[in-house]
Amino acid sequence: MSAVTAEFTVAGQHRSDRRGPVRWIASHLRRHPLVLFAFLGGSVVMVVLNSMVPALTGAAFDAVLGDGDGRARELAIVSAALLGVIVLRGAFDLVARLGSETLAKRLEREARDELYVSLLGKSQTFHNRQRVGDLMARAANDIRQLSHMVNPGIDLIVDSGTQGIIPLFFIAVIDPRLLLVPCLFAVAFVVALWHYMRQLNPVSTRMREQFGDLNAGLNEAVRGIEVIKVTAQEPHERRRFAVNATRYRDSFVRNGLIQARYLPPLLLAVAMAGALWHSLTLYGAGDLTLGDVVAFMGLMGLLGFPTFISIFAYSLVQLGIVSARRILTIMNTETELDRNADGHSGTMRGEIVFENVTFRYDDGEPALRGVTFTARPGETVAVVGETGSGKSTLTKLVPRIYDVDSGRILVDGVDVRNWNLDSLRSQISTIEQDIVLFSRSVAENIAFSLGQRADRADVVQAAQDAQADEFISELDDGYDTVIGERGVTLSGGQRQRLAIARALLTDPAVLILDDSTSAIDSATEDKIQAAIGRILQGRTTLLITHRLSQIRWADKVVLLRRGELVDSGTHDELLSRCALYRRIFAHYDEVDVPAPVDGVEATGEVPGEMTVDTDGEAGRRTSANSEKAVAGDTDGPEEAVVV
Amino acid sequence: MGFILDGLDVEDYDRSYGDRELLRRIGRYFRPKLPAMVLVAAMIVLHSLTQSAIPLLISWGVDRMEQGSVSDIGWPLAGALLGIGVLAWVFNFFRQWFSAKVTGDVVLGLRTDAFDAVLERDMSFYDEHPSGKIVSRVTSDTDEFANVVTLTMNLLSQVLLVGFVTALLFFRDVQLALLTMAVTPIVMGTALAFRRVARRTTQHAQRSLARVNANLQETMGGISVAKNFRQEATVYSEFRPINRQNYAVTLRQGFVFSGIFPVLFLVAGLATVVLVQVGGSSVLGGRLSAGDWYLFLQAVGLFWLPLTSIAAFWSQFQQGLAASERVFALIDASPRVVQEDAQPVGRLAGRIEFRDLTFGYEPAHPVLTRFNLTIEAGESVALVGHTGAGKSTLSKLITRFYEYSGGQLLIDGRDIRSFDLREYRRQIGAVPQQPFLFSGTVADNIRYPRPDASDEEVRLAAMRVAGGDWLEALPDGLGTDVGEHGRALSMGQRQLVALARLLVQDPAIVVLDEATASVDPLTEAQISEGLDVVLAGRTSIVIAHRLSTIEHVDRIIVLDHGRIIEEGDHAALLKAGGRYCEVYNTYFRHQSPDYQPGTGFVPVAK
Repeated sequence: MSAVTAEFTVAGQHRSDRRGPVRWIASHLRRHPLVLFAFLGGSVVMVVLNSMVPALTGAAFDAVLGDGDGRARELAIVSAALLGVIVLRGAFDLVARLGSETLAKRLEREARDELYVSLLGKSQTFHNRQRVGDLMARAANDIRQLSHMVNPGIDLIVDSGTQGIIPLFFIAVIDPRLLLVPCLFAVAFVVALWHYMRQLNPVSTRMREQFGDLNAGLNEAVRGIEVIKVTAQEPHERRRFAVNATRYRDSFVRNGLIQARYLPPLLLAVAMAGALWHSLTLYGAGDLTLGDVVAFMGLMGLLGFPTFISIFAYSLVQLGIVSARRILTIMNTETELDRNADGHSGTMRGEIVFENVTFRYDDGEPALRGVTFTARPGETVAVVGETGSGKSTLTKLVPRIYDVDSGRILVDGVDVRNWNLDSLRSQISTIEQDIVLFSRSVAENIAFSLGQRADRADVVQAAQDAQADEFISELDDGYDTVIGERGVTLSGGQRQRLAIARALLTDPAVLILDDSTSAIDSATEDKIQAAIGRILQGRTTLLITHRLSQIRWADKVVLLRRGELVDSGTHDELLSRCALYRRIFAHYDEVDVPAPVDGVEATGEVPGEMTVDTDGEAGRRTSANSEKAVAGDTDGPEEAVVV
Repeated sequence: MGFILDGLDVEDYDRSYGDRELLRRIGRYFRPKLPAMVLVAAMIVLHSLTQSAIPLLISWGVDRMEQGSVSDIGWPLAGALLGIGVLAWVFNFFRQWFSAKVTGDVVLGLRTDAFDAVLERDMSFYDEHPSGKIVSRVTSDTDEFANVVTLTMNLLSQVLLVGFVTALLFFRDVQLALLTMAVTPIVMGTALAFRRVARRTTQHAQRSLARVNANLQETMGGISVAKNFRQEATVYSEFRPINRQNYAVTLRQGFVFSGIFPVLFLVAGLATVVLVQVGGSSVLGGRLSAGDWYLFLQAVGLFWLPLTSIAAFWSQFQQGLAASERVFALIDASPRVVQEDAQPVGRLAGRIEFRDLTFGYEPAHPVLTRFNLTIEAGESVALVGHTGAGKSTLSKLITRFYEYSGGQLLIDGRDIRSFDLREYRRQIGAVPQQPFLFSGTVADNIRYPRPDASDEEVRLAAMRVAGGDWLEALPDGLGTDVGEHGRALSMGQRQLVALARLLVQDPAIVVLDEATASVDPLTEAQISEGLDVVLAGRTSIVIAHRLSTIEHVDRIIVLDHGRIIEEGDHAALLKAGGRYCEVYNTYFRHQSPDYQPGTGFVPVAK
């Protein structure tokens, strides 16, 4: 059993063997001994009965061609026996096939259930680190693959395996010497098949890849058609497509050639001829009856079956094992930090101090390097930086989704690693950029945080504070409208306000808010910003934002670039001392950007030649600046800087 | 088993071809392959003949054995069997090899034609049809067509086999042959009925699977929320019944699929029983030889498998024809943009004049009616207005992606219809809201408009956009792989690459649709700086969404329902208090750095 301790378990759930993919699958299959028996037993009995058919046919021949008076009666007896065998064969065939089908679907159901429970049991840290949605998409396919592995995969292998072996017993019963040809055939068959697979595999893999390339290239050309047309690059694209399509064609033909060279049918023909010759020789010697010859040739015909089916079935089983391994990897992964149950716990005031914090993911480049700043209780800190500058990494270190590599983070003066993890996390709320809503009523989504314990009045109050009440009332069933049903979808801004309402109910001391979505119109923006303004009150907030006004009005700005802190301070401080910060506002007439010491400095750390470039060509913008904006509250002078 | 169960989607450029025309079109692709086709056909006939010769040979052997002269025929019989087996393999080898060649070449030809058609289609075609469906016509539909070719060949060989065997049986014993034939309608009927049931259960199963997956996606996406609030049990209780239902539904489907072969096998088995009894009695009565009896028993085995695939053939064949019909519809779709001449363009200055121009996406609903606008060479113009005002229509007409129905569009005083289109477009730089990048490196993408541009030119272009410091944020600078459709880059970075690409293209006219997606302020500043460089000295038409843009262009044009209702620069228009101010209050007010909720309105004169 695995040592993983789950946060969620279901009483009475089967405990599977997770030490390896094959053991795991076996431990699941073993749970259904009756079905397993029906499948395996049914298969064997079916093949035994099937092998009796040629024997009985042979008996019919002997009966008809024999001497004596009761030939008609004998034939009738054989026919009746044959009828019985065939009906029984049909019945057992059905039992076996339906058995394997049932086994396959049960495996699918239980594997899905187990994975689901296991994921529910994983820690918060695991889920925050993994992109579980992506993981799940893969797992969904893997689970289906398990079902395909049993049926048709294992089913075909059992079926063709028994068909390859059991007729041999019947042949041995007729005369053991007859085994000579089928055994030689079996050996040659295995060698030929192995050779065939070795040749086919690389070609069919290449063919699949080339089809992928063809498709990807085409997809790109269609999606980028506008660029192709305006840059008149059609001939270039045509050439590229022709190369891809021709490559695929070549592989296709090569694949066809290899398939055409498939040897087993030829071997079978040789074996049949050999078998006939062998049996006739024995017949000539008087050791066999004519019926024996008929039966033997019929049994040889049965041996043909496994030749045509095997490749497909083996690859299905292989794929199934790979899938099982992936599922197991997910289930066996555990990434939990020390929960630190004895650590500091208490009501949080909300002071956050970063002291020389450095952090890297795995062994990559540091995502954050020596970051130091302080957020006082109740302050709103705008975190500003490019994509990949470390903004969201920074926010993930506070609730300990990850731990720092060096330096430390203090909350209320206590290192986060010394906090009781539950206490720490329960007082920090995160509103991510992608808001997750469940397919439940609006009210339940808002009250989700309290496990549905909140009463309706509180929910409505929170929604009102989050400026969400208005649009909720306009939905068909108001607060009882089920999200996602009958086409009820919410815009990004509406989802965000629901998340804010949810957070208002929890009332955390520290809020991490990623507000990178954009509103198309100002009226919507008014609502969103009013809601955000409300949630910011009375709590420390780390605000990741693209909005200049939010940066402008924040208590403090933290400016990051490539994992390093460029500067932090108030808007006015940064505007006066930080060139990079000034550059952000330089294109707006409204902001009074103070004149820097010299022209180069205005572009921050940018090399000087850039200003040379823009100097001559940017006249268009500066000329437009000569008129004063009437919209802004500020009344600054014309831009003195060329940016 | 190859049963394709989803419905066919119809697009409005689809047309139906008469069966004869369709076959003629298909035939044209096969004609150059005629010798190979003849060879394949011959091989199919020969292969079928050898297949049906084997039971014949054995039955002959059985007859001889019955007559007791087996020692004479042992060697020749085995030898003949071996010879026939070898021949059958050789025939099949050539058949498969050459049919792979033919199919490969025909599909290649069809694909190349389809791709040429893709490049020739107007932009309106791409606006109207989702790219995924166009792609599937070039790859999947041509592939399906190839399947039909293979399928038809297989069918041919199976029909021939069944035909030969049937003829043989009737030749030997009519009564018993009729009895054997009786199995045909049963097998075919069972196979067809199965298809109907299979289709229905598969639909159920797919729906149920979609439900399971949707549930998984949703809960797993939101699991940290669920965990945060200890709601695991609730979530699990929702999942459980869905999983159970999925089990029940897919099991039903599985039973149908797993049950069909045992049933067919049983039918064939029962036929054997009948033949053993009836045939045996005939032999006893002296009406039939033992060899013929054996032949009939063999025939049942040869019969029933081909019968099932013949039953499945027709609908698959139809689907293949429908696929080829879709490919031809793509190839034949008629162009809407028509050039009257192909005069050399020369270097454009960039003066654009719409003169009494009328245009509508559908002729009955004109978007622009007798529209007049002149943009001077080198002027920068911003288009603002509500959705549907006609902003992007103007840019689509300038790039000549759409055809107008009345009036004139003059570039440097010359009719746009008289230009060599390729040459003209090379001087138009278009940047859509979400710039498209091809997979490859950043440098590859900057170089795209001029594949012969040197590394130094590419580097300089990149450096001229915002001083090139945006490259430092990329892991490998210019050598950074942008990923599929540029996904490895942020939206803002993609815009910066598109700007550098414009510098390499060096167009006279730039048509820019500003992104509405939010970009972090540093990158935003870089884009603004890049725009200054890119737009300088060129005529530019910007569909503006950014405050910083409208504050700086030479002229703002306020559009409403395809008409110009106000124009001027930002400051003058704000002072005027007209419709521009309404637009400003609706779309731009909140972008001001000084914005606070509910403030920043500019007065609108009543």
